[in-house]
Amino acid sequence: MSVAAIQPTTAPAIGRAQPQVESFKYDNAIVRAFAIATVVWGVVGMSAGLLAAVQLFFPAANLNLQFITFGRIRPVHTNAVIFAFVGNGMFMGIYYSLQRLCKARMFSDFISWFHFWGWQAIIVSAAITLPLGFTTSKEYAELEWPIKIAIAIVWVAFTVNLIGTILKRRERHMYVAIWFYIATALTVAVLHVTNSMTMPAGWFKSYSMYAGVQDALVQWWYGHNAVAFFLTTPYLGMMYYFLPKAANRPVFSYRLSIIHFWALIFVYIWAGPHHLLYTALPDWAQSLGMVFSLMLIAPSWGGMLNGLLTLRGAWDKVRQDPMLKFMVVAITAYGMATLEGPTLAIKSVNSLSHYTDWTIAHVHTGALGWNGFLTFSVLYWIFPRLYNTKLWSTKLANYHFWIALLGMMFYVVPMYVAGVTEGLMWKQFTPDGFLQYPNFLEIVLQIVPMYRLRAIGGTLYIIGVWFMVYNLYRTCKSGQFVPETEAQAVPFRRQQPVTEHGPHWIHRWLEAKPLLFTTLSVVAILIGGLVEIIPMYVVKENVPTISSVKPYSPLEVMGRDIYIREGCVACHSQMVRPFRSETERYGEYSKAGEFVYDHPFLWGSKRIGPDLHRIGGKYPNAWHYNHLENPRSTSPGSIMPNYPWLLTQKLDVTSLPARIQALRRVGVPYPEGYENGPAQKDLQAQAQKVVADLKAGMVTAETNREIIAVIAYLQRLGTDIKAAPANSAGAPAASSTAMPNNVTRTAAK
Amino acid sequence: MIEHITHDMNGIAIFGIFSICLFFAFFTGMLLWAARLKKTYLKSMQDLPLDGGEKISNDKLSHE
Repeated sequence: MSVAAIQPTTAPAIGRAQPQVESFKYDNAIVRAFAIATVVWGVVGMSAGLLAAVQLFFPAANLNLQFITFGRIRPVHTNAVIFAFVGNGMFMGIYYSLQRLCKARMFSDFISWFHFWGWQAIIVSAAITLPLGFTTSKEYAELEWPIKIAIAIVWVAFTVNLIGTILKRRERHMYVAIWFYIATALTVAVLHVTNSMTMPAGWFKSYSMYAGVQDALVQWWYGHNAVAFFLTTPYLGMMYYFLPKAANRPVFSYRLSIIHFWALIFVYIWAGPHHLLYTALPDWAQSLGMVFSLMLIAPSWGGMLNGLLTLRGAWDKVRQDPMLKFMVVAITAYGMATLEGPTLAIKSVNSLSHYTDWTIAHVHTGALGWNGFLTFSVLYWIFPRLYNTKLWSTKLANYHFWIALLGMMFYVVPMYVAGVTEGLMWKQFTPDGFLQYPNFLEIVLQIVPMYRLRAIGGTLYIIGVWFMVYNLYRTCKSGQFVPETEAQAVPFRRQQPVTEHGPHWIHRWLEAKPLLFTTLSVVAILIGGLVEIIPMYVVKENVPTISSVKPYSPLEVMGRDIYIREGCVACHSQMVRPFRSETERYGEYSKAGEFVYDHPFLWGSKRIGPDLHRIGGKYPNAWHYNHLENPRSTSPGSIMPNYPWLLTQKLDVTSLPARIQALRRVGVPYPEGYENGPAQKDLQAQAQKVVADLKAGMVTAETNREIIAVIAYLQRLGTDIKAAPANSAGAPAASSTAMPNNVTRTAAK
Repeated sequence: MIEHITHDMNGIAIFGIFSICLFFAFFTGMLLWAARLKKTYLKSMQDLPLDGGEKISNDKLSHE
């Protein structure tokens, strides 16, 4: 379609031959498809978030259904909002602006629609598999391996369409927005592939190729840069296009936008280590991550000021136009979040904020403010143009703006209060040197009112979205959809060649060669990436062996996988930091060598409940049984959900051989053939021991229930280092008969 | 957690020094280059989004 639509026409010749103008058509249908998907998935993703938020003060809101319990619904929320709402929003903005900036239709209509339907299929499969518990547990990378492959294929299609369109453009220059789009496409591909290295153990189960410390470093290199290159750079590109369009004036400083781009993509990728302060990451890398995080303020604020100053002399328009109102708040939220992020990367601040709701407040300033408001702004701008009409109601859009702003405030302010409260209470000592609040639950109960306020904020925000849905629907009804927009331009190849010299010429030459430009962009992000990645690989060889640390027993492997399935890591960390307040509360601080068999790592990023790394042996088996059945029976006031299905569901032991085999392939030293018989025997023997112990605690249970495996795993946690080096029977419930007692990390390399 | 484990890595500190040097070299070059860009070029680039090439532009659609 794209080529066929080009119909050369002859411009009137005056004197010398004039450049020939070509007519062509922009594809609006694909833009509309992504726009509708953005709205639909926005409602779904935010509603899932609200459901999760309500469960934090009203655990029964899960209706005792495992599929909508907090641990499973949280990744549905984060994935839906990031990849479905923002993802579709990004594609909407790119497909609209790229065509107009390149003065060309998209490279291939087929690829455009393959991209659209492929992406929606991925989202639907995520919406099905995550509630079913199919998850890798790695944040924002939870989807299992077949879906990861599908993501890679669809992303390649998007990248081909992007680069193809740029190559066939009629505009010689690549506007800065396109640079941001290129950086997005390439970096996300690199991040996704690197972090998705897993070993399948069935169609919907896999184990990370990396273990422990190394897995954590790769994951947070990915996690940080996913925020940078999925949530930030494409939206900055959209800001640089849609803000001048809406304000009908050029960007304040194009020079600043160039500096913004190169500085941002070069610096962002270095700052990942700030997610792992006070962990086993090399000290210099932590400091480097902190320094680069602080330096990020400069380009980020440069971009923010560039956006806001574009509106100089046009603030009267902001008063009248809700689209610009949303845009201004979005850019301001970007500025706030990018000031706060580096602040949180300062080690002393991080020691207080990490694992608290402060992080939740921070990410939602970005998500609700920056991504949400900017998406709303673009939707309000695009729909009337796609339907060649006016927005149905400016008044309703203004209501949306104010209620969304109010909702955002009601969300983030209580989370800041909760975060600081938690951080301080966790660390508070009495004058005698004891923890002031030794019971973790006491601190949780202090912040439950903040969770209620947060849910009110989320509700207001979603009400605003429904205002928008109705407004856009009425807008569509009042106009006629324009599937294609006719346009004209002089082809790139017929324009005057670049002949100037000096830096001006170099830049024009560079941006006239998109493939070279693309390569240089990749080099820029890879330099920072490699400097981080090399220590990730080196660190594996430098994690000291702790001879008493042994692979998990088969029953513990099954229990750990259920722990992953239920999303326990969403609320419980497994990383005791080297602070006195933490060693007093939890026990010995965590050692890198303790995680060498953890595929994946389960350090977590938020403590809604206490850290569990030293939970093994702390309570009897019967306590865990009762606690999982109904947490309030052992911990009055607890906000943890009930897990009654663990008591009734049978343990899927048929999958054990595949699990053991996959774990051996990624380096866990199970002997060859262990999965064919001995593993099942060990599993049964350990399960019988747990059941016998439960009976002594007045609890009757069957050996083939999932809860037995979960208890075995919890009782194993953090106990290895307490065992004598030559003795592997340290775990209360572990009694492996065929497990190798003398395996060390050396064998796992 | 434990930092000493990585202190033992041979030559690992070179990464930090290399990073900082590379960063400053990159930024100095980039700033000098950006500062020398011509105003006419910058002006033409600034105006790019304002001309989408549409035959009939509906960019002026107001919301009322």
